[in-house]
Amino acid sequence: VRCQHYPPLRALQASAVLRRVSDEHKKEPFTSSSQQQFDPHPAGHQPEQEPQGPRSSYTGQGGQESEDYESEEQLQHRILTAALEFVPEHGWTAEAIAEGAKTLGLSVAAAGMFHSDGSDLILHFVSECNAKLSELLEKEQKLVQLGEAEKKPTDEFLRDAVEARLRMLIPYIEKWPQALSVLLLPRNIPSSLSLLTRMIDDIWHYAGDQSTDFNWYTRRAVLTGIYNTTELVMLQDSSPDFEDTWRFLENRVADAMNMSNAASQVQSTGEAVVQGLMGAAVTVSN
Amino acid sequence: AVRLCRGRALLSRLRGAPRALRGLAAGPEMHFGFQSVTEEERREKIYQVFESVAKKYDVMNDSMTLGIHRVWKDILVHKMNPCPGTLLLDVAGGTGDIAFRFINYVRSVRDRQLRMKLKHHQSLSWQEIFENYQEDKFNSLGDSQVVVCDINREMLKAGKQKAQHLGYSEGLSWVLGNAEELPFDDDKFDVYTIAFGIRNVTRIDLALQEAYRVLKPGGRFLCLEFSHVSNPLLSRLYDLYSFQVIPVLGEVIAGDWRSYQYLVESIRQFPPQEELKAMIEDAGFFRVDYENLNFGIVAIHSGFKL
Repeated sequence: VRCQHYPPLRALQASAVLRRVSDEHKKEPFTSSSQQQFDPHPAGHQPEQEPQGPRSSYTGQGGQESEDYESEEQLQHRILTAALEFVPEHGWTAEAIAEGAKTLGLSVAAAGMFHSDGSDLILHFVSECNAKLSELLEKEQKLVQLGEAEKKPTDEFLRDAVEARLRMLIPYIEKWPQALSVLLLPRNIPSSLSLLTRMIDDIWHYAGDQSTDFNWYTRRAVLTGIYNTTELVMLQDSSPDFEDTWRFLENRVADAMNMSNAASQVQSTGEAVVQGLMGAAVTVSN
Repeated sequence: AVRLCRGRALLSRLRGAPRALRGLAAGPEMHFGFQSVTEEERREKIYQVFESVAKKYDVMNDSMTLGIHRVWKDILVHKMNPCPGTLLLDVAGGTGDIAFRFINYVRSVRDRQLRMKLKHHQSLSWQEIFENYQEDKFNSLGDSQVVVCDINREMLKAGKQKAQHLGYSEGLSWVLGNAEELPFDDDKFDVYTIAFGIRNVTRIDLALQEAYRVLKPGGRFLCLEFSHVSNPLLSRLYDLYSFQVIPVLGEVIAGDWRSYQYLVESIRQFPPQEELKAMIEDAGFFRVDYENLNFGIVAIHSGFKL
């Protein structure tokens, strides 16, 4: 019978898996952009979960080192990122997360940390894609500011941004309908909606929108509509490299532009009509 | 001496006294129900309790909880959501309820997996389909295994008989062992469960440390146990039922008043949800959380070894 006696104080090594953040720099990045996700929080960051309490009280002088250990959130982030490669095979499920945990050397039971419908994995993926898109748009903006590139007209800008974002779905396109249905569950709607609106907001921001009137809402509503419908078209598109989808997107953006022109035309026509009527009324009264 | 039905006033007085002794051996005095005994005596008495109830354990469970204990155990296994290939250690597993549920769950998940796999292979030749079935015939559990560990020989015996009777043979092993000193190597198991057993462990902190030791990194600790009801009305009804009905049922069905008196008393002595959560965190687990079932009559605590 094995007998293990543990010292009452928990040594720094008590955490079996949460490793020093510095180790992560040696790890091969998943993509060039996600490397930024692995950056440690600014020095002095204390993971805020309560397990840090007992640890810091026991480590005394070693307390400084405990700051470098990654937090649970970072570990979860790593597991979800590793799980993405198993999605084409297992779908957006707890099984994919379990496989991801296995590749990190963890037990498959670690998937129990996440909700069993796979929503955590999907939300993680969506927020990663949004982050990548923001980066892309930021880089483009810098080029324009440095004068190395031309500023695109709005419709082209929107088209390119939406296309870039939708292209990120291509590796997972088979299982994406499942992901969409999970995102529409009432439980997940607040998070998925906020991710969507933030992304649309980002795109408009980089497109140079600085409106402060009702236009702000109409622009976002229009772009959300374009994005969602294009996404749905993409799901059942079988043309080579999704040509049909991009053509659909082009048409929708053009429609939106025409509509806004039409709207301003209607407004000026309306004003003209009103003035005409006023003139007629004045004439008649005389 | 056997304490007969205690009044509620005495309950609150006695709850205060052993509080300092919960989980840590502050001295040789421990609680056995509402009695005060030494550690050794406690182990001895608990062993005797389960020795005598072993044969009627399942029947009594059904009658005391009106069958709801089955739902509690189902919820535990659903919360675990094991995938094929999981290695489970069921401590104080006694008559094997959790182990059998685990096997059923994993089998159905595996079935679904195999069906999905075959669905993808739409145009297989008959030869290939035949081979698929061949290789998976002997892997209906997908390499999952459960080890049932219990300190009480009689309970293990009852469990083995039940397994034989119900037809469970694959992926199941029975080990005699003490939760405070498990006969297993480090970092072995994916999930550790203890259902209605941790209450009977004399040194809970040692059991939790052992749980931490034998779990793999990323492994999960799950504890299903009677706990504290905070709703005052329900608490009164529950006390009434516990102290008036259950020992009587024990006498009528199992012919053993004392063991069931011990049972309901030990429930009152057990730490409430938050305290148990703190103890689990002290053992080194992260993401410790609990879920109340039936307003706190029963609680499932979960923690991860990260």
